[in-house]
Amino acid sequence: MSTTAHTAPAATTAKSLASSGKFKTFAVVFGFSTAALYVACDMMGWPLFSYHPATNRLEWFYAPPRKGEGPVMYWYGWTATSMLGAATLGVLATFLPEQLTRRIPLALVWIVPGPGDPTAVLFADAVLDALAQG
Amino acid sequence: MDFLFDYIAHNTYWTILLIIHGLLAVALLGALTHQAMSVLVPVRQAAGSAGFVTRFRAVPAPGYAAAVCVLWIATFIFGAWIYSEYRIYVRIPIEQAGFWKTQGSFEMKEHLATIGLGLLPIYWYLWKNSGNADYQSARKWVTVYLAGACWFIFLVGKVVNNVRGFGS
Repeated sequence: MSTTAHTAPAATTAKSLASSGKFKTFAVVFGFSTAALYVACDMMGWPLFSYHPATNRLEWFYAPPRKGEGPVMYWYGWTATSMLGAATLGVLATFLPEQLTRRIPLALVWIVPGPGDPTAVLFADAVLDALAQG
Repeated sequence: MDFLFDYIAHNTYWTILLIIHGLLAVALLGALTHQAMSVLVPVRQAAGSAGFVTRFRAVPAPGYAAAVCVLWIATFIFGAWIYSEYRIYVRIPIEQAGFWKTQGSFEMKEHLATIGLGLLPIYWYLWKNSGNADYQSARKWVTVYLAGACWFIFLVGKVVNNVRGFGS
């Protein structure tokens, strides 16, 4: 029986991710983009798919309720749209030069989902109200 | 999944899932609360014998990060799983009863759960680099945000369950 201590592959991967500048860029952009895109998806009605729970029916993008088939759920679709969009932005950001990505403020990861999202919703509501009133 | 209903009643099946979801949420809430306390009111020095509150916030916070990520994802998956049942059997009666604040709070719960999910990679990264002083502010506020969101999500889940949940 061997008594040699081996580092688990998962631990090695975690350690290399934790010291990777590219992973940091991805995580920062993914974090604040998810918060921003999710609110946009909800307000604009951009689900990747719609789900009819009573009939187990899935439809791509926004689908209105069908007569006699109960309610439609968009949350799964909004989550998918925002996650995919944020992941795409995060991956694209890793291709930017490091001197540029270093300038992305780390505070965005709590400002956007914290005070940012409710402010954006109130602002968008006010703009939509103003547009509706002509 | 339909084959399961040959062995287990429909209500029992969803109740088991709801209880697992709730238990995972309790574990997540505990971990995040310890961590948030440790960053908001850190223990600076040991003066005499430590009381309950001091011991509560004196946890080795970086060690919680991976567990919090796993628990958030697991709780999210179970929540998403039972959500379809909620939409038909809970939300419709809530709407019929006119409990609009309860329903609106539940919508906030679903928003915060997804936004929190998106924050997990940076949350994990910040805690894995807990020795880096440059990340101190972001680490603190992301953790506090997640803890606050978790408390809101948990309490709304409890209220919704009281309105029409277990056994109804």
